[in-house]
Amino acid sequence: MDRQKILDQVRRSSEHLKGIFGGDIETIISERRYGFISGVCKQVVMRPMEERLTTSDKIDRIVINRVFGIPIFLFFMWLMFKFTFIVSEFPMGWVEAGQEWLSDMVGGIFPEGSIPGSLITDGVIGGVGSVIIFVPLIFTLFFCIAILEDSGYMARAAFVMDRFMHKIGLHGRSFIPMVLGFGCNIAGIMATRTIEHRRDRFTTILVNPFMSCGARLPVYALLIGVFFPEKGGTVLYSIYILGIVIAIIMAKIFRKYLFPGPPSPFVMELPPYRMPTIKGVIIHMWERGVLYLKKAGTIIFAGCVLVWFLSNFPWNPQYSKDYDALKQKAEADFASGLVTKDTMDETIANLGNEQAREKMQKSYMGGLGRIIEPVVKPLGFDWKIGVGLFGGFIAKEIVVGTLGTLYAVGEADEESTPLRERIQADTWPDGKKIFTPLTAFALMIFTLLYIPCVASIAVIYRETNSLRWPLFAAGYTTALAWIVAFIVYQGGRLIGLG
Amino acid sequence: MSKKITIALAGNPNSGKTTIFNNLTGARQHVGNWPGVTVEKKGGNLKHDDYEIKVVDLPGTYSLTAYSLDEVIARNFVVEEKPDVVVNIVDASNLERNLYLTTQFMELGVKLVIALNMSDLAEARGQKIEIKHLSEFLSAPVVPTVGHKNKGTDELIRAIVDMAEGNFNLDRVTIGYGEEVEEEIKKIEGLIQRDAGLMQGYSSRWLALKLLEGDEEVIKKVASEKEV
Repeated sequence: MDRQKILDQVRRSSEHLKGIFGGDIETIISERRYGFISGVCKQVVMRPMEERLTTSDKIDRIVINRVFGIPIFLFFMWLMFKFTFIVSEFPMGWVEAGQEWLSDMVGGIFPEGSIPGSLITDGVIGGVGSVIIFVPLIFTLFFCIAILEDSGYMARAAFVMDRFMHKIGLHGRSFIPMVLGFGCNIAGIMATRTIEHRRDRFTTILVNPFMSCGARLPVYALLIGVFFPEKGGTVLYSIYILGIVIAIIMAKIFRKYLFPGPPSPFVMELPPYRMPTIKGVIIHMWERGVLYLKKAGTIIFAGCVLVWFLSNFPWNPQYSKDYDALKQKAEADFASGLVTKDTMDETIANLGNEQAREKMQKSYMGGLGRIIEPVVKPLGFDWKIGVGLFGGFIAKEIVVGTLGTLYAVGEADEESTPLRERIQADTWPDGKKIFTPLTAFALMIFTLLYIPCVASIAVIYRETNSLRWPLFAAGYTTALAWIVAFIVYQGGRLIGLG
Repeated sequence: MSKKITIALAGNPNSGKTTIFNNLTGARQHVGNWPGVTVEKKGGNLKHDDYEIKVVDLPGTYSLTAYSLDEVIARNFVVEEKPDVVVNIVDASNLERNLYLTTQFMELGVKLVIALNMSDLAEARGQKIEIKHLSEFLSAPVVPTVGHKNKGTDELIRAIVDMAEGNFNLDRVTIGYGEEVEEEIKKIEGLIQRDAGLMQGYSSRWLALKLLEGDEEVIKKVASEKEV
């Protein structure tokens, strides 16, 4: 009976693979073997074997050329990011609009200031929504990556980067997880399964979080929009490059001290080029993209509810002023003709914001912030930023969401001008501005480097099958983030920036 | 007391296998038939130090599928008779095509020694092959030979003996088939590994691959509910 189970599984697997590749499996498998052989030959034979060139060979002559290979690869990467941002712009706008509509509609059902209303609109729709907005972007990116993979180009990219990767003690196969990491570190870490040797695989896993994933983009977008509107592209590029440089340095260190040993022999397979099938590309995109959706539906959902709870409770704290009485007084002043309607509205709005802010300070989150503040103060961060970063452990997008909540404004995504203005206006008790371009840059660096999100940590646990590595990853990245942000912030102040 | 080693010579037709066979065994040859079929089976003996080496010349094949009788014979011998070492004769001047058979042996997980034959011809054409890397990539020692000049025969014998004694410690290289195929391989392997009968003689990965490839011989064996 068990034998029948095996044959049934084989049949299912065959059907599945036929669907993806649109051809028979025997051909796929032998193509892969020839890809392996082709990789071996290109690496061990000093001169081309025969002058009988196939189409694949002809394309390879240009694409994996020693001189043009890397520029061609960089061009494709640039094209991919460019395409992703352009194509996903519109659907992202639709998702955002849909979310606002939903928030207004649901908000109308509950009385103003009620606990369930606040939970659903601020906590769930606001928080999870700020993540859902990025779904079109993530799917488009995965779509592009799937095309590059299915066509056989990704194998060439890995081949081209192989020599470079050897310099940091890894090999070309570690390269694809790195590229995927730009979309989502979880996808990147899972893609390390194709790396055979533990030392290569674990090194790749541990440095993957430095590949700046899509979830960190909202944080950069918010800060760049406020503080570097002119040089946005350059600043963003520098953050990505910094991540790559640090990944390279750390990989080298890990390979030397944590996982010593010679680079393992490894053949970069070069399967022949083939036209990607639509079905295959869609399946690839979907399999990876769905991970992101699942994350939004589970971890981020729970995280947003938690942040909402911590920043809204105790629900009715002991206020320093009787805000309700003051508001009534403003209304009474207007009624008796002492002030104009505009003045009254302004007073009431100010009181409302002040109250929200005090409520925040007296909430559990505020208490937490005061504990965190001494740790992050040397980096130029105040308690609100500290709390935001704390929330970012759940998912990096939550940094923006939390700052939005903490600055007591209804909308918290990076497009909202009120949050931008408030961030710019906020001051330390001595009147100095909290946010300067320097602080913003230090905050971006910290966001890039510090603890991987909880989902990444969970995946590291699953893939390494030990508690040691996720804990190590959490610890060393955070320490590194603190050190680098400290150097940037304090160094910047020394040379007179900020 | 001399130690006995059995080796099988495998290679593509025209890879110079027969010349190597002659170089190894000299006049000590015997010719017969493979059991049950009228395919010629050549065997021979040679002595090296304390070792008595029995050499079996497998039919020349390009692969190890179930499509041709020659390939089935070669495959069954390797799997069922379990020679101590498989010597794969590879034509250096036609490396790409010859290595396909090599990948098959790598996947079977046998102890493999590569004789890189006609290496003079390749060099004459201006091709330089990095032996050390090739050896790492194929996880097998590679010995350059020139069959018709009887070059490299002693080195080959030494490599065979060392391999049989387990003196080579090479990292095993696995040929990757890409994420999706690997996932299916893993599922099938998982089921195979629970079946003790199937685990004798074959590596589970090889079986899984052959099943996916639709290899009739292997499917028949798996379906037969007997030990393979």
